[in-house]
Amino acid sequence: MKRLSLIFATAALLLFAMGCDKIDINNTHKPFEPVAGLKTVLIKDFTGARCVNCPAAAETAHELQHLLGEDRVFILSVHAGFLAQPMGNFPDFLTEEGTIWYNNHDSNPLFSVDQVALTDGNTLNVEQIDAPVAAALNEVQLFDITTYTTYDEASRQLSVENHFYPTGDGNGKYYATVCLVEDSIVGWQTVPGGVDKEYVFRNVFRGTLNGVDGQQVFNGPFYVEDSFTSTCSIEIDSTYNADQCYVLTYIYDYDNGKIMHTVMEKVK
Amino acid sequence: MRKHILFVLALALTVSFRASAQSFLENSQVSGSFQTDAQYYMRDNGIGINDLYGKKLGINGFGKVNYTNGNFSAGVRFEAFLPEMNGFRSELNGVGLANFFATYDNGFIGMTVGDIYDQFGSGLVFRTYEEWSLGMDNSLRGARVVLRPAQGVTLKGVYGRQRFFWYPYLERDMGAEEYRGIVRGVDAEWDLNQSIPSMNDAKFKMSLGGSFVSKKQEDLSLFYYIPENVGAAATRINLGYGNWAFSTEYAYKINDPSAINNFIYKEGRAILSSLSYSQKGFGAVLQVKRVDNMSFKSMYTGKQNDLDINFIPPINYTHTHSLPSMYTYSTQPNGEMAAQLQVNYTIPKGTALGGKYGTKLAFNMSQVNDIVRDSVMENGHMVINKPGSLGYTSKFFAISDHRFFRDINFEIDKKINKDWHVTAQYINLYYDIETIEGHAGAPVVQANIGFLDVTYKINKKQSLRLELQGLWENEVHKGYEYEESEKKDYQKRGDWAFALLEYTITPHWSFSIADKWNYGNPVEEYRDHYFTGTISYIHEATRVMLSAGRQSEGVVCVGGVCRTVPASSGVTLTVSTSF
Repeated sequence: MKRLSLIFATAALLLFAMGCDKIDINNTHKPFEPVAGLKTVLIKDFTGARCVNCPAAAETAHELQHLLGEDRVFILSVHAGFLAQPMGNFPDFLTEEGTIWYNNHDSNPLFSVDQVALTDGNTLNVEQIDAPVAAALNEVQLFDITTYTTYDEASRQLSVENHFYPTGDGNGKYYATVCLVEDSIVGWQTVPGGVDKEYVFRNVFRGTLNGVDGQQVFNGPFYVEDSFTSTCSIEIDSTYNADQCYVLTYIYDYDNGKIMHTVMEKVK
Repeated sequence: MRKHILFVLALALTVSFRASAQSFLENSQVSGSFQTDAQYYMRDNGIGINDLYGKKLGINGFGKVNYTNGNFSAGVRFEAFLPEMNGFRSELNGVGLANFFATYDNGFIGMTVGDIYDQFGSGLVFRTYEEWSLGMDNSLRGARVVLRPAQGVTLKGVYGRQRFFWYPYLERDMGAEEYRGIVRGVDAEWDLNQSIPSMNDAKFKMSLGGSFVSKKQEDLSLFYYIPENVGAAATRINLGYGNWAFSTEYAYKINDPSAINNFIYKEGRAILSSLSYSQKGFGAVLQVKRVDNMSFKSMYTGKQNDLDINFIPPINYTHTHSLPSMYTYSTQPNGEMAAQLQVNYTIPKGTALGGKYGTKLAFNMSQVNDIVRDSVMENGHMVINKPGSLGYTSKFFAISDHRFFRDINFEIDKKINKDWHVTAQYINLYYDIETIEGHAGAPVVQANIGFLDVTYKINKKQSLRLELQGLWENEVHKGYEYEESEKKDYQKRGDWAFALLEYTITPHWSFSIADKWNYGNPVEEYRDHYFTGTISYIHEATRVMLSAGRQSEGVVCVGGVCRTVPASSGVTLTVSTSF
């Protein structure tokens, strides 16, 4: 009995000794180490103009983007869910594709990283995205994409040509989705304490140019010397500011939805 | 000859095995329960449900079976959310074996493997539990040892990983370690009255306890150095003398930057004390609590009601009637100062006010304020709650002017004669809806609430029950000026009336109709009726309940933990049974 109590006391003491890590309060921030590699990452921010916690979450995501490189991390603000439903003077940024991607989740803000988290029914809050983003940046880049845009001012017609190049030999079914994004839209947004009537909405998803699933790029074996070219076009809505519009293209694994690479190009 | 011996031996063994198997089975006890809740959703433009978003049906169900045989017990729990009902976390969607356990306990040592539900003291540093109505289960999958080396002394150790919906538990399974760490804990309790023979029957009672719990989670942050081992300790004492009882528990937690506390490195502290007195016909309890940065989760990025290692008990009155429970307090783990006084008195039978059956009176007052936070110096600047900093300092006994909640209520419960029974309650409520429910900028709810609950026994088998309730807000009601853009924040605000009539035929049937009417909402389109009709049938331990109608938006809270329930319209079926 005494031996057992002694073992228990020893275990408790060990737990006391090893169970606490004290962080030096003068050294809480990690030094930033640039992530090697060439792969880019897409963060989808499922947000809403009437969602009070969304601006702070978007800010955190943009801080992460700034930290890791705006040429490596892209953010697509997808307005979807109850708090994105149009009401009064709040802007209507709803899209059919965004609603499908949101997949009946019940809150905002929610995030996915390279479309991994939401596709299997799980959701991430903004504090959870840094590690998946860093991990995704460290993955081997499997594809490269080059985007060319042509925009006609008079007809507001936008034509997009995308070239997809495998960086090595592989096998699988890959699709590409081409999105129209409008940046820096000023409008009403619920914020803590009320409404910001001049809130600047960043990277607002306006819809796809080739459907919610996009277009098939590769199916079966492919080789490093292969390439695929796709074209699509759209008439940009007259209410959109074409000077602030971008084309965002990503290629993804059709079987599990995971995005392999993303690029973004200005419309003009 | 050898064959005969073998045959006899085999026969003897068979008889012996059958006898022991029979004895084994005779000592066995099997118990369990099953429940299915299903909701069929319908569009209802009248209350703003114009789109069901493809979800017409939600079903939550579970079945659990426990087996006990002497010192051994084991159990399994199966759950199905196909899909989950509205208002429950979407991560619940799925079906499978949620929990299992096996325990052997001979009085000296007890060992459990599997999913563990347990609590150290009042739970300030460790409590795992399951609450079906919240869709919450933070059980610990691992092992527990309970040791009783001497009379009145109990030592406990637990080790494992908490349940997180249907996520895998093992690190070799993808992503397990990314979502939560490992929890280790020890607890010791010493009951002096049991340990010391001379104190066995003493009027003075005393027990002491102490706990230490640590979580280990990998630092995955890109921004901050996250402590991979976070420890929390608590000490407690329970005293009693005659009709008096006093208990207190103090808890301390080392730096634990997390999404909940905005990644600050301040230590956490909490204290919970209770003083009570009781005698026949009279009882009083005074409780006080202080909580400062005491959210303790096994996942530092978690923000919702999951993966809590500890539990901060609420010290507020639990209302059960519809309108009084509309604004239920939700514990604020980042900081709160709370106090509660509950007094119960029964006016004796045979007196002028007590009548033939006596009259029960109850008074309760509880209030919760914020703690005071002072800024700290970081890089030559004064900052408060800044991520990566100490956060703030807080004087232990200082109370902020920011009041979160106050509930003053008085209740009379009176059996008038053998046919009539009346309960009435008045509540004065203050509810900071901005802090508690996150409705930014919404005005505080200050309301007077009252209800009358009358039961009339028609005969030995039949009875009628009538509930009349009213909620009147002081400021927000018809005519209140609001900004169009903030209309959504007024969805359940203003004055309410509620009536329910229930007809019961014991022991099986019950029928009720009810209407909840938000007649005084400042927004005209929200002045809705939420009517429901319910039929329930009870047969021994089986209960079937079918209800149809509307459900208003609100929160469901159990033990200070809440979930939001969206407005809905449709049919609800609940079937439960136990054996």
